[in-house]
Amino acid sequence: MKNAFAQLGTALSKIQKHHIQLFLALLTLAMLVLGAGAPDDSLPH
Amino acid sequence: MILLTAVLAGLFAGLLRAKWKKQSWRPPELQHVWLVSVAFLPQLLVFYLPGWRAHLPDTLVAASLVGSQVGLLVFCLLNRHQIGMMVLAVGLLLNLLVITANGGFMPLSTETAAQLIPQHILRSLELGSPLGAGSKDILLTPDAIVFPWLADRFLPPGWFPYRFAFSIGDVFIALGAFLLLSMQPNRQKGSDRNVSKSNDQTSGDGSENAPGTDGSEPPARSGADQQPVL
Repeated sequence: MKNAFAQLGTALSKIQKHHIQLFLALLTLAMLVLGAGAPDDSLPH
Repeated sequence: MILLTAVLAGLFAGLLRAKWKKQSWRPPELQHVWLVSVAFLPQLLVFYLPGWRAHLPDTLVAASLVGSQVGLLVFCLLNRHQIGMMVLAVGLLLNLLVITANGGFMPLSTETAAQLIPQHILRSLELGSPLGAGSKDILLTPDAIVFPWLADRFLPPGWFPYRFAFSIGDVFIALGAFLLLSMQPNRQKGSDRNVSKSNDQTSGDGSENAPGTDGSEPPARSGADQQPVL
């Protein structure tokens, strides 16, 4: 039982870690393209 | 914001490609990611947070943009082993070149602006001044623009519902972001063994988390440098 809990905990921490890493990777790319690009879509209408 | 669609499209294409090949998708292996946050911070304050821009002189805004893009270019060069990153770096370099040559802002010609802005609003805009609080552009006559072919001179087709002006550098940046996410080497599901030959080759030139030949987990790396596998 203890082992099962430990395995579950490890699996959950892995999933969360992966999701956080994915989020960070996408956030990095989003900042990169927003900072590098200069399209003007904020023109007054 | 239009460039974020390239990131989403690349992510979607990468996931589809991995599913098609029955593999797991993982994001690109990027190093020195902290540099992006640090380099982007001035632009975040100046262009994306309302209120800051009004209190800053244009020279400081221009310096923030140029300095920020130099930092982002360094990041791209540090990650040049990714093909998509090299394409993105070319776009960034083109934008940086035209921005620096035109006083620290991306030039937008009056001709291009006339196709986006109603005439009565265009007449009220001052030549040589930034277009708005969230804009990196300045309005210039076509003759006054240095490197006009690198400026924001292109428009999406008429049927496209979202109107904006973009440069050739922006096209490279969008393409690079798309390639970065869509062309990542994948992993076979249920295995840590990397099935991509190209990744096997790149693992020797700085990639630190390539799996061992026996299929064992590679040594752990710190923080955001570790790559998730979906």
